[in-house]
Amino acid sequence: MTITKDIIKRLNKILGDKSVLVSRTDLMSFSYDATSNWQGMPEIVLFPTDIKQISEVLALANENSIPVTVRGAGTNLSGGSIPVSGGIVLCTSRMNRIIEIDAVNFTATVEAGVVLNDFNMELAKQNLFFPPDPQSYLAATMGGCVAENSGGPYGLKYGVFKHYLLGMKAVLATGEIVSLGAKTIKNVTGYDLPLLICGSEGTLAVVAQATIKLLPMPEARQTVLAVFNDVITANAAVSKILSRGVRPAKAELIDNWIIRRIEEAAPLGLPVDAEAILLFELDGAVETVSMEAAKVVELCFNAGATDVREAKDKKEADNFWTARRMGFSAIYGNAPTALAEDVTVPMDKLPELMERIKRIGEKNDVMIVTMGHAGDGNLHPCILTDKKNPEHYARAQKSTQEIFDAALELNGVISGEHGIGLEKRRYLKNAMPPEAIELLKKIKTVFDPRGILNPGKIWE
Amino acid sequence: MITPQMKIDPDRCMKCGFCMSVCPVYHVDHIENHVARGRNVLLRMVRDNELTIEDDYRECLYSCLLCRRCDAVCPANLSPADITLEARNDVVEKKGMSWIQKIIYWGILNRRSLVARFVGLAGLIPGLSSKGGRPLHHLADMASFIPGVLSLPRMSLRPLRKRVSMVTSPPPDVKERGQVAFFPGCIFEFFLPDVGEDTVNSLAKAGFSVVFPEGLNCCGLSVHNAGDFKTSCLLASRNIEALEPYDHVITGCATCGSALKDYHKWFREGDPMAEKAREFSKKVSDFSEFLVKNGFNGGSADHCPTTVTYHDPCHLRLHQGVYLEPREILNSIEGIKYLEMDNADACCGLGGSFSIAHREVSLGIQDKKMESLKKSGAQAVVTSCPGCMLYLAHGIRRYKLPMKVMHISRLTR
Ligand SMILES: Cc1cc2nc3c(=O)[nH]c(=O)nc-3n(C[C@H](O)[C@H](O)[C@H](O)COP(=O)(O)OP(=O)(O)OC[C@H]3O[C@@H](n4cnc5c(N)ncnc54)[C@H](O)[C@@H]3O)c2cc1C
Ligand code: SF4
Ligand code: SF4
Repeated sequence: MTITKDIIKRLNKILGDKSVLVSRTDLMSFSYDATSNWQGMPEIVLFPTDIKQISEVLALANENSIPVTVRGAGTNLSGGSIPVSGGIVLCTSRMNRIIEIDAVNFTATVEAGVVLNDFNMELAKQNLFFPPDPQSYLAATMGGCVAENSGGPYGLKYGVFKHYLLGMKAVLATGEIVSLGAKTIKNVTGYDLPLLICGSEGTLAVVAQATIKLLPMPEARQTVLAVFNDVITANAAVSKILSRGVRPAKAELIDNWIIRRIEEAAPLGLPVDAEAILLFELDGAVETVSMEAAKVVELCFNAGATDVREAKDKKEADNFWTARRMGFSAIYGNAPTALAEDVTVPMDKLPELMERIKRIGEKNDVMIVTMGHAGDGNLHPCILTDKKNPEHYARAQKSTQEIFDAALELNGVISGEHGIGLEKRRYLKNAMPPEAIELLKKIKTVFDPRGILNPGKIWE
Repeated sequence: MITPQMKIDPDRCMKCGFCMSVCPVYHVDHIENHVARGRNVLLRMVRDNELTIEDDYRECLYSCLLCRRCDAVCPANLSPADITLEARNDVVEKKGMSWIQKIIYWGILNRRSLVARFVGLAGLIPGLSSKGGRPLHHLADMASFIPGVLSLPRMSLRPLRKRVSMVTSPPPDVKERGQVAFFPGCIFEFFLPDVGEDTVNSLAKAGFSVVFPEGLNCCGLSVHNAGDFKTSCLLASRNIEALEPYDHVITGCATCGSALKDYHKWFREGDPMAEKAREFSKKVSDFSEFLVKNGFNGGSADHCPTTVTYHDPCHLRLHQGVYLEPREILNSIEGIKYLEMDNADACCGLGGSFSIAHREVSLGIQDKKMESLKKSGAQAVVTSCPGCMLYLAHGIRRYKLPMKVMHISRLTR
């Protein structure tokens, strides 16, 4: 027990007792995230409401070497927000003010706990657009997304969180409050520190506020659905489309098993007999969109699609995208344990990766289902298993390892968007040269000399 | 195929957090075991004996409004509200109820008007009632009043039964189109009988002869939601029986309506009452649903405010899927202007005994509603649930808004 009665008293004084949880039942619900195989109990949960409180908490924690794990909504898929070393969970969900939406400069400043969907709804009122769209946007917080450098289907055309991050207010492990970056689109003043913290999974600093850039809302959008006889042809089709100069905003792949589970849960009009489908969204000016949509239809047919059609109206398009968003749930809801991987390879290697994943599943006799952002080479092969069945679980883990090896051999990476956290830390040494890992560790020491921020994550 | 059993299997919760995006309770306090996601984890742990049924587990179980917003977004197709209900029942079966709950439920079953009188009196006792305090939603809410402070509108000296006749016929100039049975519910019956009268008169004006059947009971929802399925099923059986002779059962209370329509889910698989209840639920309609189905033809309302807005009761919109009908009615009444407010479908914060046991969160939910009401600029807020009416009125007093609260039948009578 690192947290003494005296420390609890001091924390109560900083935050007020309504913002401090200590009962076992309350702590329990901050011990997990969206993965199905990790859990760790915090000793205390804190809900700061402003940056000053965060600063005082960190100063106290640092002084007493108490681990601090930041948590937004706890929707990450890597074990990132799980307090494996106990200590404090610092939950940002009550810091949820949108501080500024600047429609003239196309920027916004938000507190860390603002939920991405709530932010998008405010933007829509002003015809503004913030593209990064992790499929957990209904719950995920802006701070969590910065810390995970999240992205989603729009990544293909628009990039991910880091491409929009201009600046932030952060609190260092020692309690200092720092302003990093600026509100300008261009900025080369020293090292790009906001970018360093982006994707650092809560190990370098606590993000209290983020300033991001915005885009105008595209004038028009069109969704295209293409059906394929096998997953590999579907993946190859995406490459062909991109090489012809068409750049869809999204190009998503869903395989047959997942299509069926989605349709069982809620019929949304996906073709259940399709081995694989690709979902595209084209956006931009009205004329461009209709021209590009026609081109995608033609190119898909050329690439071997058995059926291709444009969504007939907004409602059908919304249904298709809802179905896509249901993907993860369809998987987790239908297997006791699911290992959702996040490998990413250069676009042209995608068909080969798919081929190898198929063989890995057959060889180890495990079910591997796949969906993902086919357009940017980021796949989510999910291995269906059961943690309570050690023999099966071992084969599932072996398959994970082999999928990682395959991705690395194809010049890819082991995580495209979910981060390393706990889930992938034992693979880090295969994915990064030792010198680079040393560099990570040195950077960590500079930011967090006592190692209190999210200890135990990223490397072993 | 998702079976009913699968809908209440907490193992299928994959902790995606989508329920957190819609939960009124989580939006106020951000404590995760007060929303479906956290509760499901606790439930699993209790089931697997990793956690005992301590008081604060109970507290988590009862910190849910059972509003079913999460049911609508859950991608795993779970019904977290039903999961919570089952868990409450489990606690009640294992640990029993408090003596006060037992007395109240016995009273509701056997001496309803006596309990009502007692509740009414309790509302007048200084210390138990406070002027700006909380009104009671249901008689069963008594069960949780002990630690808190509550207030009620004065119980009406003449309950509804004494005010309307056994059968109210359409006015002489209106052709009779059929017969309906009216289900008043406790609040109309004992506390807001004038609104009950409006509902009966509106139905008569629309051409229906309205029967006020003998032998009706409390709808049972509060008892059911408290986890006492035995008592609630008894109440349900009695109501089904009393309403047996009628083809249409109409209620002006969204909460009662949602209960009556759900009775078939209350009985366990294989219980002969389940089938009977299923048939029964088909003949139940909400007041506005029934009027619109039968071609409500507008008309004019005198002495009414000129601008009105509408509050969607959770029990009507989310439980019964009825939200277009009341708006259709309001839009077709001459002389009033309908203004849709922001977040018309946001909860009022009452949630039965929730508002007593979780006062602060409940007021936090009410705050949001009051902001929307204020912004709407309407002179009156119309709704379809007497429970919401009481709580909206409470909020309006608290916020000192220049606004009236009305049941929709006031405009159609
Ligand atoms: C159904 C589902 C679909 C998903 N789809 C995608 C997807 O398409 N793309 C994608 O990228 N991800 C996806 N994810 C993963 C996850 O939603 C994202 O990683 C998300 O950004 C996490 O946000 P959060 O608020 O839940 O953060 P949390 O899970 O609470 O935290 C994530 C990490 O960030 C740290 N952190 C949180 N807040 C801060 C802060 N203020 N300062 C410093 N560190 C902080 C935490 O310590 C932790 O390490 C999905 C998850 C689910 C459940
Ligand atoms: S939405 Fe459903 S699956 Fe997701 S966390 Fe809530 S209850 Fe679980
Ligand atoms: S039923 Fe309503 S209050 Fe209960 S968890 Fe679901 S959304 Fe929250």
